[in-house]
Amino acid sequence: MIQVTNLTKRFGSNEILKGVSFEVPRQTILGIIGASGSGKTTLLRCLNGLETIDGGTIACGDVRLEAGISHTDYKRRVRDLRLQVGTVFQHFYLFPHLSVVGNIIEAPVHVLHSPRKKAEGEAFELLDSVGMKHAARRYPESLSGGEQQRVAIARALAMHPALLLLDEPTSALDPRRIASLRGLLRGFVEKGHTLIIISHSIGFLDGVSDNLLYMEGGLVVEHGPTDQVLNSPKDPRVKEFIAQAE
Amino acid sequence: MKILRNSVCLIIILSGTTQAQRVLRWGADPSGGAPYVYTDPGNPERYIGYEKEMVDALAAAMDRQAEFVPSDWETLVSALQRKSFDVIVNGLEPTGDRAQQIAFSNPYYIFQLQLTVRRDDNRIHSLDDCKNRTVATLGNTAASRLLQQQNIPFRSYEDPVGAYRDLELKRIDAVVMDVPAEAFYARDNPKLKPAGPPFFKGYYVIGLRKGDDALKAEIDKAIEKIIQNGTLEQILKKWKLWNDAQVEFQSSIRTHTQPTAVIEMTNATFNWRDALLRLTRAAMYTVLIALGSMIIAVVLGLPLAVGQWKGPSWLRSLCTLYVEFFRGTPVLVQLLFLYFGLPVLGIAMPGMLTAVVGLGLNYAAYESQVYRAALDAIPKGQWEASYSLGMSSLLAFRRIILPQAFRIALPPMTNDFVSLFKDTSVAFAISVWELATAYRELANASGQFLLLGVIVSLFYLAMSLPMAHVARLLEQRLRDRSTERLEEAEVAA
Repeated sequence: MIQVTNLTKRFGSNEILKGVSFEVPRQTILGIIGASGSGKTTLLRCLNGLETIDGGTIACGDVRLEAGISHTDYKRRVRDLRLQVGTVFQHFYLFPHLSVVGNIIEAPVHVLHSPRKKAEGEAFELLDSVGMKHAARRYPESLSGGEQQRVAIARALAMHPALLLLDEPTSALDPRRIASLRGLLRGFVEKGHTLIIISHSIGFLDGVSDNLLYMEGGLVVEHGPTDQVLNSPKDPRVKEFIAQAE
Repeated sequence: MKILRNSVCLIIILSGTTQAQRVLRWGADPSGGAPYVYTDPGNPERYIGYEKEMVDALAAAMDRQAEFVPSDWETLVSALQRKSFDVIVNGLEPTGDRAQQIAFSNPYYIFQLQLTVRRDDNRIHSLDDCKNRTVATLGNTAASRLLQQQNIPFRSYEDPVGAYRDLELKRIDAVVMDVPAEAFYARDNPKLKPAGPPFFKGYYVIGLRKGDDALKAEIDKAIEKIIQNGTLEQILKKWKLWNDAQVEFQSSIRTHTQPTAVIEMTNATFNWRDALLRLTRAAMYTVLIALGSMIIAVVLGLPLAVGQWKGPSWLRSLCTLYVEFFRGTPVLVQLLFLYFGLPVLGIAMPGMLTAVVGLGLNYAAYESQVYRAALDAIPKGQWEASYSLGMSSLLAFRRIILPQAFRIALPPMTNDFVSLFKDTSVAFAISVWELATAYRELANASGQFLLLGVIVSLFYLAMSLPMAHVARLLEQRLRDRSTERLEEAEVAA
């Protein structure tokens, strides 16, 4: 579904990503773990075009983003990429001046030019699927963290992205909610979505992701099926990280 | 060093002698004051004019030292009463209303009025043709009182220069002015022509405080002396103000006979009904100026803010330059520039439009800063969320950022609007009939500074308070919308 090859990203002289390569097969979930400063968040921001890449390629569906192409070409490809990739930010960034439904139909109506009625119908279906239909007419500031997250997920899905990125999805949730989020995300995979989840919580990823990727110092240190990475990591640094997390 | 010490001694000696001699402090308005008293174009440190020379002659006759106190025409009477100077010598006409406030000397000059129009104008030949035209004159003069008595609507100006310039620029149709000023400022202007012969005859006198009888006697004696010995005649001839009327007037003084000329005296009429009507009209203009300029400011402020905030560096510096220029110079100067300066480049706007445009351009600078602060206050995440949903920068700005920024900007914008309302008063400088102009003119004509001041303040309050209230309501509605909607949803459930 998405293939990242030799991706590099610098901020000034500080190289954050030093050649990251991995692939996520369709209808799977990849969990990305690593200590703070390992480059996880920068990687995520490169995948949805918020950071300009300095080297390598990102191929997603029929979009191929690479360093070294002209500025206008790059911008066009970033827009195409964003239509393939949906993002749920750690702090959600719901639009405070729009109702829950307004948040969800904003992009379908103004970017995809869907008829408002149709977009609203879909929005209600999505809200139903994340269990937020009752709050459709409410405004973000009256929602709890978990509720805001569900709205943010519905907002991202309303654009029918092939790939959904989630940044620290468990940070706003209590344990009971975490279990239900897990079920929700697996449900999306059943429906055909592909997910990349960045999380500190190995416990959460253990039950939800198909594959795990461990990053450190801007490099992929280990990448494999979740069971294998957690139970018999090859690299001692991964072992140490998991031991500390537990 | 020696030269310095000598000159210091000289100054001490000189100032010693002036203090020993009694002074005659006289007040007049030198701005646009030719040929009465005005700044010497060749030496801006010096004042010249026939009345300047006459006062010097009078002072010499009184064995006094003349000391000129530059003042403002509209407030000469109150300045005299405040003892800013001892006498008014400024082509002052002895009017009935002034007689209630100050005393007059014997007359020293007979003046007439002259109507002036554009050279290509064939509609106006006398004051009678002016009923439905825009006529201008100096405020608080014999001419303005005459127009008022004849029920001819007029605009009053601070000085003849502005009046004649606006006549040239077709902002007005005719100007009535005392002949001396007309001769100096308009007679040789190829674009203007006198309409009909001079009309009306009146005296110029010197104004004194009531009760200054000794000074009045001294002045009257001096006037007679400079007429008897021909000094005044010489001065008037030098300034080309000598004419048949003066010949007759001066010979009657010399021979101690009554002058035969019929002298007319104007009087300011003032009634409260009329005054309130005029104030209401002025208030309407004030509202129009405020609304018009606020629309310009609100609309123009946005591109300025965006340019300064996200534009390429050349645009950013251009917008910054605009903002700093309009914030860093007084709005009064900007208005004067637009009104008097732009016509030089061929752009002549009427006063009302000038006020709207001027205040609009000025406040756009302030609004842009309000917007910029509001835009800066929107978290970066809002942009990133918009981008990640596939929105372009423009769409994200229009749909996501701007509506949020507007809510933040609304309270300071309200503030600005209220202060803009008050700033409309600077339009008096370009003779727009708004509240401040109305106050000044009505108060000067009636002497009712206190009462009219209270009324005008009430007018301003009556306009700005409801506006502040509406803005507060709007603000509250925007803020409470989420909770309101929440309640609605609950009711529906």
